[in-house]
Amino acid sequence: MNLKSLLRTASLLLLIGTASASAQQITLGHLEDLSGPTADVGVPYGQAVADTFAWVNKNGGIDGKQLNVDSNDYGYKVPQAVALYKKWSAPDNKVAGIMGWGTADTEALTGFVAQDKIPDVSGSYAAALTDPEGTSGKAKPAPYNFFYGPTYSDALRAELTWAAEDWKAKGKTGKPKFVHMGANHPYPNAPKAAGEALAAELGFDVLPAIVFALTPGDYSAQCLSLKSSGANYTYLGNTAASNISVMKACKTAGVDVQFLSNVWGMDENAAKAAGDAADGVIFPLRTAVGWGGNAPGMKTVMEISKMSDPSGKVYRPVHYIAAICSAMYMKEALDWAAKNGGATGENVAKGFYQKANWVPAGMEGVCNPSTWTDKDHRGLMKVDLYRAKVTGATDGDLNDLMAKGTIKLEKVKTVELPRKPDWLGW
Amino acid sequence: MATPSLIPAGDFRTSYAADTTIFPTRTSRNFAMAGIIALCFAPQIFNAYWLSIAIQIGIFSIAALGLNILVGFTGQISIGQSAFFLLGAFTSAYLNNNFPIPVFFAIPLAGVVTALVGLIFGVPAARLKGLYLVIATLAAQYILLDFFSRAEWFSGGSVPASANPFSIFGYTLRGDRQYFYVVLAYVVISFILVTNLLRTRDGRALIAIRDHYLSAEIMGINLTKYRTLSFGLAAFFAGIAGALYAHYQLVISQEGFGIERSILFLAMIIIGGTGSVMGTLMGTAFVVLVPEAMESLSNSLKGSAFDHALSLNNNITFLREITIGLIIIGFLMFEPDGLAHRWRQIKTYWKLYPFSH
Repeated sequence: MNLKSLLRTASLLLLIGTASASAQQITLGHLEDLSGPTADVGVPYGQAVADTFAWVNKNGGIDGKQLNVDSNDYGYKVPQAVALYKKWSAPDNKVAGIMGWGTADTEALTGFVAQDKIPDVSGSYAAALTDPEGTSGKAKPAPYNFFYGPTYSDALRAELTWAAEDWKAKGKTGKPKFVHMGANHPYPNAPKAAGEALAAELGFDVLPAIVFALTPGDYSAQCLSLKSSGANYTYLGNTAASNISVMKACKTAGVDVQFLSNVWGMDENAAKAAGDAADGVIFPLRTAVGWGGNAPGMKTVMEISKMSDPSGKVYRPVHYIAAICSAMYMKEALDWAAKNGGATGENVAKGFYQKANWVPAGMEGVCNPSTWTDKDHRGLMKVDLYRAKVTGATDGDLNDLMAKGTIKLEKVKTVELPRKPDWLGW
Repeated sequence: MATPSLIPAGDFRTSYAADTTIFPTRTSRNFAMAGIIALCFAPQIFNAYWLSIAIQIGIFSIAALGLNILVGFTGQISIGQSAFFLLGAFTSAYLNNNFPIPVFFAIPLAGVVTALVGLIFGVPAARLKGLYLVIATLAAQYILLDFFSRAEWFSGGSVPASANPFSIFGYTLRGDRQYFYVVLAYVVISFILVTNLLRTRDGRALIAIRDHYLSAEIMGINLTKYRTLSFGLAAFFAGIAGALYAHYQLVISQEGFGIERSILFLAMIIIGGTGSVMGTLMGTAFVVLVPEAMESLSNSLKGSAFDHALSLNNNITFLREITIGLIIIGFLMFEPDGLAHRWRQIKTYWKLYPFSH
């Protein structure tokens, strides 16, 4: 037997080996940020995705097949995400779907996932991912990108709508001033153009944007420029950890401004860490209720939480519950695909278009009804705006603080945004 | 003490041609050629993971080679190499996306553009020594990085830039298996070019500047010219490596190419041996493989007794970073001449066996 035939048999055996392994399992790629700049929200989100799929496996898997979730901490670095994607899109071992994370890497991979036909349910809600055919002219075609939740742009639009009413309700005259604050990075920059355009339309005086990094730090300089500019409403584009730094610094500097945060910018843990600096911050919630809320679906959420916390004592932030919804949508799309031609990426993507006003089974009252169509990947146009209320010292267990009401997330307004075609993609 | 410039007694050449060969012996030349031919079969044998590691080693070794010209052969120091790497990447993508230049030509052109920018930064740096030179190259690093994050016309600003795949005469190379050959070709050509450089007049001038710049200047070597040339060459190879990287990843992002990557390039040549071309390849392979080895080690340690004892949980990824730093310090303490020296020692041991001392 010469070298060539030896090599050929070896590679054939390897191929057979991998093929047979995949026949019994459905593989999903999972990107999470556990050590990078967005780790503060990446850790609960990643945990929830892993827990949800572990729970799915415990309850029969997808059409009898177990899910093999390949979780990887890529530290929010795009090159690492691209390298992992290469592994997941290898022609002989393609994954059925990816649970993605960051804006920069998801946007970078839109072309690749479309070419390789692998649906990507991301933790990024950038509007540039919502145009499947590129009809808006403002975004690249992204037919295989989905996410559960309002886009960053739509959430900011909803917050600005509320801010305009709030200005009038307070009886103030003149033009309110709006400032966009965030890092110079695709994730905070995603809603900047849309936000500033709508603000100008609604009669705000749009001031130049202020930059602060994704990592926590000393942002007193930014707060002082905020104070001197006289801004009334400020959008915080970063995740909770660095937003807390800004809120604390601005409280110390005595800046009187209404903070409007993005979905990742505030949660119960952040409110505990920031203390009374977080009081009054407006932020959108992707789910209809928080942990322990009154909804039939909360039972499923608690069951899923037990997969990594058998005692049931850990308080799960809003991001955990939103991640369960994202993972459950992927699960139901996989279910549909498995019954309609096999769990390949193409079928899973079709699975997302099957239901309008879709709430995954067992998540009633938790996940908001979402609709994806092949022309419009904006799943959710309804934005629930909440205000973080902190009424005392926040040292102590989070469960106690929430139970006593020291930290409260009170609902302010639900904004139903019109599904405007000229708002698509930016 | 058998260094390339000090040949021990008994080892002599009888013609100028024999003295200036690229490979010291016929055997080493044959081994090198056999190695390259063996690597041609690598895409068939390696799986996707090892192939991507091999391509990474190839690309970074070209950039490390450029840095070795500057640090190892001219005695300068630069902690701005990753900025030039990125510049090469963005330039190649920019040239290919905005002008009708095919990728095949965009890569060397990007190297040339990066060399010119390197020359611009080299002119002030060539007059500085020691710590001041380090700070000047640090400035180059941050100036270029800031430029990339703001120049939306060039690099897309904070959004990652996209590059086209490598195509030759209309045939587009897809996948690691095919790209491996492009990288292999560039590695072979770069290494031959640099080894050749060292036997030319300019190469000897660079070595003279490293060994004793005052004597070199007295002998008539123009220090400023050669130091600037050295910067330009380092930037050229960094640019080529960056361009190869751009057309490999197809997405160019600045993350992971800040000051920490520059220091990793320095680590690659220190671990491999600062004055050695072969050492560059060994050092690069070592630096690329150590994180992977640590990754698999930390994955196997996850959830085990060690993990619980130190209660690391998610922070096990930092164990990897710590180990890489410790290895670099260890090398500096115990093996300052690098892997190339250790390899020569091993060869000598077996050559003189059992009479080595």
